[in-house]
Amino acid sequence: MNQIRKVGGKEETRRFLESLGFVAGGFVTVISEINGNLIVNVKESRVAIDKEMAAKIMV
Amino acid sequence: MKVKIALAGNPNSGKTTLFNALTGSNQFVGNWPGVTVEKKEGRLKGHSDKADEAVLVDLPGIYSLSPYTLEEVVSRNFLIGERPDAVINIIDGTNLERNLYLTTQLTELGIPVIVAINMMDLVRKNGEMLNVERLSKDIGCKVVEISALKGEGIEQLAERAVALARSGKKTVPAHSFDGCVEHAIAHIEEAISGHVDKSMERWYAIKLFERDAKVQESLKLDAELLAHIEEDIVSCEQEMDDDSESIITGERYNYIGSMIEDCYTKRVRQQMSVSDKIDRVVTNRFLALPIFAVVMYIVYYVSVTTVGAFLTDWTNDTLFGEWILPGAQSALEQIGCSDWMVGLLVDGIVSGVGAVLGFVPQMLVLFAFLAFLESCGYMARIAFIMDRIFRKFGLSGKSFIPMLIGTGCGVPGIMASRTIENDRDRKMTIMTTTFIPCGAKLPIIALIAGALFDGAPWVAPSAYFVGIAAIICSGIMLKKTKLFAGDPAPFVMELPAYHMPTVENVLRSMWERGWSFIKKAGTIILVSTIFVWFAQSFGIEDGSFCMVEDMNNSILAGIGSAVAWIFTPLGWGDWKAAVAAITGLVAKENVVGTFGILYGFGEVAEDGAEVWGSLAGSMSAVAAYSFLVFNLLCAPCFAAMGAIMREMNNIRWFWYAIGYQTGLAYVVSLCIYQVGTLLTAGTFGIGTIAAFVLIACFIYLLVRPHKESQDLTVVRSVQGKLSA
Repeated sequence: MNQIRKVGGKEETRRFLESLGFVAGGFVTVISEINGNLIVNVKESRVAIDKEMAAKIMV
Repeated sequence: MKVKIALAGNPNSGKTTLFNALTGSNQFVGNWPGVTVEKKEGRLKGHSDKADEAVLVDLPGIYSLSPYTLEEVVSRNFLIGERPDAVINIIDGTNLERNLYLTTQLTELGIPVIVAINMMDLVRKNGEMLNVERLSKDIGCKVVEISALKGEGIEQLAERAVALARSGKKTVPAHSFDGCVEHAIAHIEEAISGHVDKSMERWYAIKLFERDAKVQESLKLDAELLAHIEEDIVSCEQEMDDDSESIITGERYNYIGSMIEDCYTKRVRQQMSVSDKIDRVVTNRFLALPIFAVVMYIVYYVSVTTVGAFLTDWTNDTLFGEWILPGAQSALEQIGCSDWMVGLLVDGIVSGVGAVLGFVPQMLVLFAFLAFLESCGYMARIAFIMDRIFRKFGLSGKSFIPMLIGTGCGVPGIMASRTIENDRDRKMTIMTTTFIPCGAKLPIIALIAGALFDGAPWVAPSAYFVGIAAIICSGIMLKKTKLFAGDPAPFVMELPAYHMPTVENVLRSMWERGWSFIKKAGTIILVSTIFVWFAQSFGIEDGSFCMVEDMNNSILAGIGSAVAWIFTPLGWGDWKAAVAAITGLVAKENVVGTFGILYGFGEVAEDGAEVWGSLAGSMSAVAAYSFLVFNLLCAPCFAAMGAIMREMNNIRWFWYAIGYQTGLAYVVSLCIYQVGTLLTAGTFGIGTIAAFVLIACFIYLLVRPHKESQDLTVVRSVQGKLSA
């Protein structure tokens, strides 16, 4: 389990990530990984994100 | 009094299930986000009289009211523009925190809100406790516990929602933000007072604080006022050391955190849920692709080869071939119908429509499988697995779902493209989805494979291969053009928990899609078979208009001959093939049926076995393959073209798509025929040179150097118009 420090990226993508529950202070767990794309657990839901997006979520 | 109640909530929180339960309608419920892409309306059960009519509107799932995807735009425009009398906010009880984020925004709209906590049966089963009264106080509106699937609490919910809508008591949000944020918002509210509806002042103020571009645009505030507002925002940002949007998001989650602490008793979570364990295997980096391949193989093997083929053969050979057709013929002759009437009914209608209906069982089996994959939750994983691969040719993993659905029928496939946020990816997906052979193209493949290639086993797979290659090449070529410049959209998608689909739901989806296919057979295909039959039976013979003996004198031959020259370079300039391809635009299944009528065989089996001999006589193998490829790639049937038009929502883009598809089909078929004849017969001519020039251009377009644009701005096709 990792705590999110900061969510970066363009305003629009960040807004979307935040509405999905990726907010600073929240916790994420990595479930699975394919070539850098991730499936993570965040706020009790499972979200698939790609490599580029995952890089914007700093833990 | 007639009231309108909207149903809003996160994707996959059970809105459609609740909608079905409350209205008695039967919409398909999927287990991947974005099943509802359009809003749907239905009358609330028990409120259908004129006097106390209550209409329920099922909105697509949204995570917030800041529109990111097209679905969010639809939902937000409805809530703000049409102002329903009440909103039922449905919440997934197993995922309170994230779901309540939307709730905090909905309560700010100044519309009566009632919260329905769904999946309460699961919450209780997990041993967790929720204090509904406290939650209701914390949110500022009524809260009802329900289980939409089991029908628990939904009547109570409906009654309360209707009562709330009638009372018109607007919900006042119970949450507030940090002092300095509230200060700035109060200033903004003051500044815009008079510009917007009183009850929506707070919502607009918060959106302006977040610098929501669409709201700024819709309010048309003058520059001075905007500058004044900007001052307030900046001073607050300095104080909080963050940008305004993040401040609001953070404040919302803070409040939600305190709410949950107040009313929710969590059991200590076990480390991994069942879904997580399944995902560990199914989306494993080594196992994911093999598992996917096996699943797809089983689906197509069963639905096309074994069960499906058995059912289809029975329908064609026994039901139509032995019972209906001869039965109809003798019955009509007995009652003394005139010859042309028998001809129209038996050779025209029954055989034309029958050839299409014979295909229904196979499609139903395929639809059932796809519905199962959708509702169990695996479909969403496929998008994740395929993303890296699709990314290589300029599409995203989400493009795969439309294409997969497109193997059944292109229309739902094109519609499924709506869940793709990025405009460029979505348009590219819409343009390329129909390259994959849909169910209706299978008979054409079977016809060509059987007639010209002696049923060679490579023909059918090669059709899929051609489709996939067309998608990949189009992706690579198109992303290098100006129209599609920019990076593909980032991939973010919520994965639902796995669950066993209900039989009812799978059958419902299967039937819904199958029925729309049957309806098509009963309407558009019926009309076109009558037209084809009429046009090929009548014409000018011996100087007068009459029923023709020689089909070469018919109207249809006239039309076909007029356009056949276009297809001469492709190797099938015969008017019959040209007519078949044209009727294929009405519905692809028509191609086989048309050949059946044209070669005078009345009823043909699904694969047109009766016309094989005639067809082989009129075309070379290379020409037939070129014919097949043209029909696979060219503009799809009218129904799918209609879907493209709807989804592109722009006449120019619609013609781009259709033109591109047909152009590509023409070029590829031309190359196949010209190069093919050069290799098999050694014919060399202008056509051959043209083919080589085209191939060179094609290769250039594929490999030309290309710089991905660095600054990607996400453009949307549907500009969300806010009407305050």
